[in-house]
Amino acid sequence: MTIELTTEVPLVIDTLERLFQPSTIARIIVEGLGKAAVYFVLAVGLTLVFGLMGVLNFTHGAMAMLGAYIGGLVMVLSVSDGTGALVRIALFMVVLAVVFALLTGFGSAFEYSLIRPIYDRTPMYQILLTFGVALILEEVTRIVVLSQGIQPEPPWSGAMATAPAAFTERYDILGAPIRGLYAFEIVLGIVAVVGVWLFLNRTLYGLYIRAGSEDPEMVEALGIDVRQAFTIVFGLGTGLAGIGGVLLMWDPLWGPSALLAIDVLLYAFVVVIIGGLGSFKGTVAAAILVGIADSFTTWLFATGIVTFTGLPELTIFGLLVIMLIIRPQGLYGVEEVGGH
Amino acid sequence: MSSSDEHWIRSYGRDQFPHVLVVLGFALYPILLGVLNRTPLASEASAFLPGLTFMIIVLYMGLFAISFDFISGYTGYLSFGHAAFYGTGAYFVVLAANGQVPGVPEGTPFMVTMVLGATLAFVVALAIGAVSFRLTGVYFAMLTLGFAQVMYEFIRHWGYVSSNPTEGATISSGADLSIGVPFVDSLNFAVGRLSGDSFENVLGLGIDVSATMTSYYALGIVVLLSYFVMQRIIHSPFGKVMIAIRENEERARAVGYNVFWYKMGAFATSAFFAAIAGALFAAYAGGASPDNSFYFLVTADALIMAIIGGIGTLAGPLFGALFHEWFEDILSTESDGLSTYLEQLLPESVLTAEVAGLTINDFIGTFLDGRAPLYLGIIFVLFVLFVPNGLLGSIRDRLGGTVSKRFPAVLDRYRR
Repeated sequence: MTIELTTEVPLVIDTLERLFQPSTIARIIVEGLGKAAVYFVLAVGLTLVFGLMGVLNFTHGAMAMLGAYIGGLVMVLSVSDGTGALVRIALFMVVLAVVFALLTGFGSAFEYSLIRPIYDRTPMYQILLTFGVALILEEVTRIVVLSQGIQPEPPWSGAMATAPAAFTERYDILGAPIRGLYAFEIVLGIVAVVGVWLFLNRTLYGLYIRAGSEDPEMVEALGIDVRQAFTIVFGLGTGLAGIGGVLLMWDPLWGPSALLAIDVLLYAFVVVIIGGLGSFKGTVAAAILVGIADSFTTWLFATGIVTFTGLPELTIFGLLVIMLIIRPQGLYGVEEVGGH
Repeated sequence: MSSSDEHWIRSYGRDQFPHVLVVLGFALYPILLGVLNRTPLASEASAFLPGLTFMIIVLYMGLFAISFDFISGYTGYLSFGHAAFYGTGAYFVVLAANGQVPGVPEGTPFMVTMVLGATLAFVVALAIGAVSFRLTGVYFAMLTLGFAQVMYEFIRHWGYVSSNPTEGATISSGADLSIGVPFVDSLNFAVGRLSGDSFENVLGLGIDVSATMTSYYALGIVVLLSYFVMQRIIHSPFGKVMIAIRENEERARAVGYNVFWYKMGAFATSAFFAAIAGALFAAYAGGASPDNSFYFLVTADALIMAIIGGIGTLAGPLFGALFHEWFEDILSTESDGLSTYLEQLLPESVLTAEVAGLTINDFIGTFLDGRAPLYLGIIFVLFVLFVPNGLLGSIRDRLGGTVSKRFPAVLDRYRR
């Protein structure tokens, strides 16, 4: 036993010493916030939809996948080698708007035609329906992507190559080499947080969502046209999923692929559940928590302190389980929503 | 139900008549397939009927779907991480066969390791259930999914399992896993091996039993026994409490039942049989990988089977599995499915005809070959929307009771 101790104690001290260097802290925080921004955008649509309607939308990941492919398609078609960085970023913004508009329309149509008829059934059937539609969307995407000669399984490199050179380069922040993309993601994440906050606090439908996640029956009793609100909010949630997908397009860890449908869905679930289903504040907090945990464990692995390759994924789902055990309603969730 | 002067065996037999028919159907199916293959209809049979290897998948996936339905359909708690138990059973058998489980020596009969693996899943389910059953609805589903994902990520990177854990582990020992009675096997009583055994000219009747067919019957017996045990539990007072929990948990508690322990019992029992299904799969496939055992989509398959077959009807998921695998089979080219059949049937001029830039041949290749998930998804959505009770549930609604109770009356009506 003593022999083991002598080998382990220096390792712990060594780890702590390396951890508290400014370059390490900068790396963990900047990368963590970049990841947090992506997680937030991916998850917030899911929590809005659940907040108002109590529907756990299983198509959310598939919608993000559609967003990634549609965005990638537009970028690949409009970007050439000579296109400058600013034009690329401007195009990216246009793509964000286009994908948001397209998927908002698509989501509204989906809610209106398929989910609306089954609101009076038990919540399980809404889960099942969205799950089935997610399967269809994923498979149709596979067929289209395959017939167009884009491999469905590994990330589509054509779309990733449209990123401006400034984003793939690494910059020195307090001694840590950090990819330029993270700064861009953080900026977009802040815009998304502010945008959704304004929507929730300054618009009528935002008011409905906040009221709905507190007390859905009262919202209905007050004579608000809940059905119309459902359609609009579901559409917006889908649009946000699409934006999340577009964000993944340049990310070396993700990129457009058919596998996004499931991966995004599971990560979005983790974030909204840790934050508390239906809670905006919780989604922000959980995205930051998960993002930092992700970058911290990635650092642990990258520096060889931990050799277990699955550590980041294991930690993220571990966080979910721990949160559900100690506080089932999540960080900021309303207990009544959590009870059902 | 039955007049009292009848012998109980006779009345029981009549009650179970549809069950007997189903078992007979499964038992005679390979023979039917064998006969058809010698007739001019051979190519039609291989194009439109599920092959024997797919029927084996029906058996173990059917058992997994039944165990999923046992908890989700009867207590109303959606166990979204049910693949965790299937995977536990599968990996336990593989590791035990490789002598990697402490205390379980290499060469332990398969039936013993299968039951040990299932018992382990039972214990794991008690642990997961202890925290999960504090929650209901969506949260229960998500927590069980979370546990399963943690196990999935762990097994995917656990170097002990194999040198490449992402690819999974295979059974490396040369001996095939025998499904015979434990400790009697050594007396050469072994009638079922999961691979390898074949019998020629059985009883001098000129019937050949292939290795695949041996596995089919061997697995079938285990699945049948497991189904029978679950069916008896559902029809016992314990099962009635499970249904009471599904219908109204508050009321079940108010009546005086300790619903927590009933839910735990049901969950652990269901995990036990899920692990049996996983063990059968791993033994038949000769290994297991994280993606075909612990992964979320394995639970999803069971869910699809349960919904199509009829959730809340124990036998339904088996028919759902039959439908699912039949679909997968006819839409894949690997086993001479529909697209191969069409390519042989249609003349060359039709196959090369162009419609909107695609030849008919391309069209078949793109939209039929291996596209079962797409059509299953569409069928699944249609079932959720229009046939929420599934195949068997709808038949029950039409008959006004369970098939086994109603079937004799229907027969009587036609007899007159």
